[in-house]
Parts: sequence; structure tokens; C-alpha cells
Amino acid sequence: MAPANAATLAISNLTKSYGTVRANDGISLDVAAGEVFGLLGPNGAGKTTLVKQILGLLKPDTGTITIGGVDAVADPAAARLLCSYQPQASAPVDGVSAREAVEIVGAIRGGSRRAVRERAQVLLQSLDLSDIADRTIPMSGGMARLTGFCMAAVVPGRVVVLDEPTNDVDPLRRRALWQQIRRLADDGAAVLLVTHNVLEAERCVDRLAIVAGGAVLAAGPPGLLKAQLGAPLRLECTLDAEAVIPPLPSGVTQAARTGRRLLCSVQHSDVSKAVAWAQAAQANGMLTEFSLTAASLEDVYAKWVDSQPSAA
Amino acid sequence: MSAVRGYALLLRWQLLRYRKQVVLFATIQVALGVGVIFGFSFLVPHVTPQVALYFATGAPTLTLILMGLTALPQDTAQARTSGRFDYIAALPVPRLAPMLADVTLWLLIQVPGTVLTLLIAWLRFGIALHIGVLVVPAVVLVATTSAAVGYAIAVALPPAATAQVASFVSIVLLLFSPINFPLERLPMWLQDIHRGLPVTYMADIMRGGLTGHYGVNAMLAFTIVVAWCAAGLAVSARAANRRG
Ligand SMILES: Nc1ncnc2c1ncn2[C@@H]1O[C@H](COP(=O)(O)OP(=O)(O)OP(=O)(O)O)[C@@H](O)[C@H]1O
Ligand SMILES: [Mg+2]
Repeated sequence: MAPANAATLAISNLTKSYGTVRANDGISLDVAAGEVFGLLGPNGAGKTTLVKQILGLLKPDTGTITIGGVDAVADPAAARLLCSYQPQASAPVDGVSAREAVEIVGAIRGGSRRAVRERAQVLLQSLDLSDIADRTIPMSGGMARLTGFCMAAVVPGRVVVLDEPTNDVDPLRRRALWQQIRRLADDGAAVLLVTHNVLEAERCVDRLAIVAGGAVLAAGPPGLLKAQLGAPLRLECTLDAEAVIPPLPSGVTQAARTGRRLLCSVQHSDVSKAVAWAQAAQANGMLTEFSLTAASLEDVYAKWVDSQPSAA
Repeated sequence: MSAVRGYALLLRWQLLRYRKQVVLFATIQVALGVGVIFGFSFLVPHVTPQVALYFATGAPTLTLILMGLTALPQDTAQARTSGRFDYIAALPVPRLAPMLADVTLWLLIQVPGTVLTLLIAWLRFGIALHIGVLVVPAVVLVATTSAAVGYAIAVALPPAATAQVASFVSIVLLLFSPINFPLERLPMWLQDIHRGLPVTYMADIMRGGLTGHYGVNAMLAFTIVVAWCAAGLAVSARAANRRG
């Protein structure tokens, strides 16, 4: 038996190229049992490429992947037994009902008939899918995505890989979905979660890695990464059209700007200067609204990803 | 989990998935079978029992081969495009289980048509059928061998090219193939080629299973088809195991 804190999933120095595109460029990370590990990064960062190698759908050029001590690159059949997976592409649910799809995958993953049926019911109910669970007409995008999650969670592996499970899902069901993701880890799985939903992920993940250009830029618990920002507060402003930003006072630094949205980081000691600046700008009609809040994971994300030279 | 259980569950999945179409597909097969027999009597006005026998027993062989070389690779190519192929590849099932489940599905769809074709041929032309147990391994071998070839094509090539290449292969393979007529009708050089290919022997073990009469030696015919089947499965397994 492995020691309690040993990594269930350990990835070391993974590289993978498609022709001249280096999709993974020396990625190392590990996920322990009971932990939700978030994988964040912009489109094309190499996240899906990474998880496909864990499942044995792609073969790494170099590097190692071990799952519960088993070499997943040399023995992909063992990896498939140990991992359950929700792909980024929608799960194959055409022609079958949500319940049928979940129960069949549960049986294929080795669950007993009774356990699978009960677990499927619990999952479908918790995601508010009971009403549609027995229909065989085509599912909506969000329903198919949620069903895909249930298929991965019905008989979870020691590692559960979820590639963007919250996409297409409405806000209330997303809340329930985050709870179920958390519960998978609480029940002992090592959960690797790819998501673009940075703010919601912050409340669910234990640790995360920010990847861009196929490499890990930063990794650690959200709290630690936020502390490394060096600015505990952020000022979020909505600019009037593409207005010119008035000069920022000292202690307030621009973190990101996307369209009309301006994000600044602020030190505790400079709160009053920041608010005065924003109020003046608002009075001049340069910004329509602003808010001052504690820094979030999105600020961490913006800092790391923005500093990255954008891929050609 | 046992390999058989994985296969059975994938088959169940396919049956559920196609439950609304299965009856339609099977009906089409029945209509084709009936059409072939009646159309044939227009084509050849004086049908001798010998000719009718070749035709009626050749028809199911042809259907089985075409299933493996067209329907199955097209389905597989479509599964690759939709992501279904990768999804199943990430499940803990043996690598060839999805292909075998698909073969079984198509076989089930063809059974009613085949039975009816033979029945009509028997009533219409009075052909002498002596159906023996060896027809079962014959059907399985013919279907699996062609499916293995079709599957290997579908896995090795880009999905968009699959349909074209698969129909090219089936045309080359089936054109002038002694399925509906005896091998001896072909020119000598083509006979020699066909002695190395499995098609003649496939037709032969099917005909033998249905009539009790084998063209050459039953043992030899089975051995050659089994060898081709094993080779096809080995190639398919390699293709299925390859990771990008
Ligand atoms: N099959 C493929 N062949 C060639 N290049 C590929 C292939 N799949 C992905 N790529 C390239 O590899 C890079 C990483 O893609 P990947 O799908 O891993 O990104 P991602 O981080 O999952 O992005 P997203 O957030 O958009 O899902 C991209 O540049 C992409 O164009
Ligand atoms: Mg992706």
C-alpha cells in the first residue's frame, strides 16, 4: 500500500508535439487522492493534449505518467482501468437516454448492477436531470455535458479526469456540479479538472496549475498563488466606450484590460487613493462603474497568462 | 472485468442506440434479398437449379463481405469524427471489442434477410439446401474477416478518406470474384490469384454450410479463411492499439 500522501497521478517532464507544434513542453505535476487539481490556461495551451496522454489516447514523446504507481505510458490498458474520463468533446449519448448511457458506462467500468443503478440515480437527481433522464430524444448541449460527467462519475477511477465539465451548463446546475466534483475527491479520488471557469474553480480546487504554451507557469494552492500577487485587493472598472484611462495613482497597477473592462491591483494602504481616483474618473464620465474586492484567482490567472508572449 | 462482458455491454449499447433503426435496416435487407432472387429470374430466363444454388448461397456471402467493407468502416469513420471512437477507446474494454460488437450488430440485422432469401430461392427454384452446423462458424469467419479489413482501413486512414478507399477495395476484391459462379469460369491467371485470396473460400464455406457440398476440401477452405481472419484481426488490433 502506498503512503497516504503519495501522488496518485504523477506526471513528469511530459513533452508532446504534433508535427512542429509543441503542445506539451516539459509538464510536471502530481495529484493526490482526495484532491481536486485544477488545470487552467488559455485556448491551445495544451490541456486536452495532456489529459489524452493520461488516458492512453495519445503517446508522449518523452516523460512519464504513473497512476497509483503504474506506468500509464507502458500499460495504457491499466491506465484505462484506473482512470475515468469526461472528454472535452461531448460524450456519445445519441440514441440512448441519459440513464442508459450512465448505467452502461458504470457496468463497463465494473460496477455491480445494483450499485450502478443507485449511483446513477443519485447523480442524475443531484444535477436535476431526473425529468429528462429517460428520454431518448436528442439532449441539449448542457444536458449532454452533464450526462458526460455522470458517465465519468458513476464508477469513478482512482483518478478522475474532467476536461471542461462546466461548459454549456446553466448556473444552478453548475453549482450542483461543483459539489459533485468536490465530492468525488472527498470520496477518495484524485480529480484532475480542466476548466476556464476560473472564479468558480477557485472555490472547488485544492491546488491548480496555470499552463500556457505547453508549460506550467505557476502551480500551488489558490491562496498561495494569490499571496504571491503581492496585492490583496483589486479594482474592477467598466470604462466608458474605449476611453483613455486617466493616470493611475501610485499603489494601483493595471493588471489586465479586456475591451471595456479594466482590472487593477491595489495595496491595502492605497484603498482610499484608488477609490478617489475611480470616483473622479466616474464623475468625468470615463468609467461607468467600479468595484473594489479581494483579489481572486482570476487576477492570478491574468497576471501569468498576460505576461506570456502570445502564441503565433 | 472479463473481455466477454465488455463486448456484451458494447453490443447492448449499440442495440439501444439503434433500437429505432434496427427494424428499418432489417427490412431493407429482407427487401434486398427478395429483390435479388426475383430480379435474377428476369435477368436469366432459364435458371437451372445449379445456377440458382450459386446465386442464392452467394448472396449472403456477398452481403457479409460488403457489410465488413462498407457499412462497418463508414460507421467507424463517423465515430472517429464525432468523438465516440475516442470515448470508447478510453474505456476499459479489449481493443477489438468495439469492432466485434459492431460486427454482431450488423449480423443480427442481416439474419432475417438472409433466411428469407434462402427460403424464397428454395420455393422458387427448388434448390437443395442441407443446412449444417458448420454454417455458423462460416458466417462468423466471413463477417469477422471482412470487418477486420474494413476496420483497419477506417482506423488507419483519415475519416474523410475511409468511404472512398473502402469502396475501392470492395470493388477490386469483388469484381470477377467467384462468389455467384464457380471458380472454373474464370481465366486461368485470375483463378490463380483467387486461390491466394480468401473470397473463393469464403463463398465455399458458406455454400458448404448451406448445401453440404464443398467445392474443394472443406478443411482446406476453413483453414485458409481462418488464416486470413487471424491476419486481419492482427492488423486491426495493431491499428486499434496505435496511439497518435
Ligand atoms: N490532433 C492534433 N493535430 C495537430 N495539432 C493539434 C491536435 N490537437 C491539438 N493540436 C494543437 O495543439 C495545441 C494544444 O491543443 P489542446 O487541444 O491541447 O489545447 P487546450 O489547452 O485543450 O485548448 P482549449 O482550452 O481550447 O481546449 C494547439 O495548438 C492545437 O492546435
Ligand atoms: Mg481542450
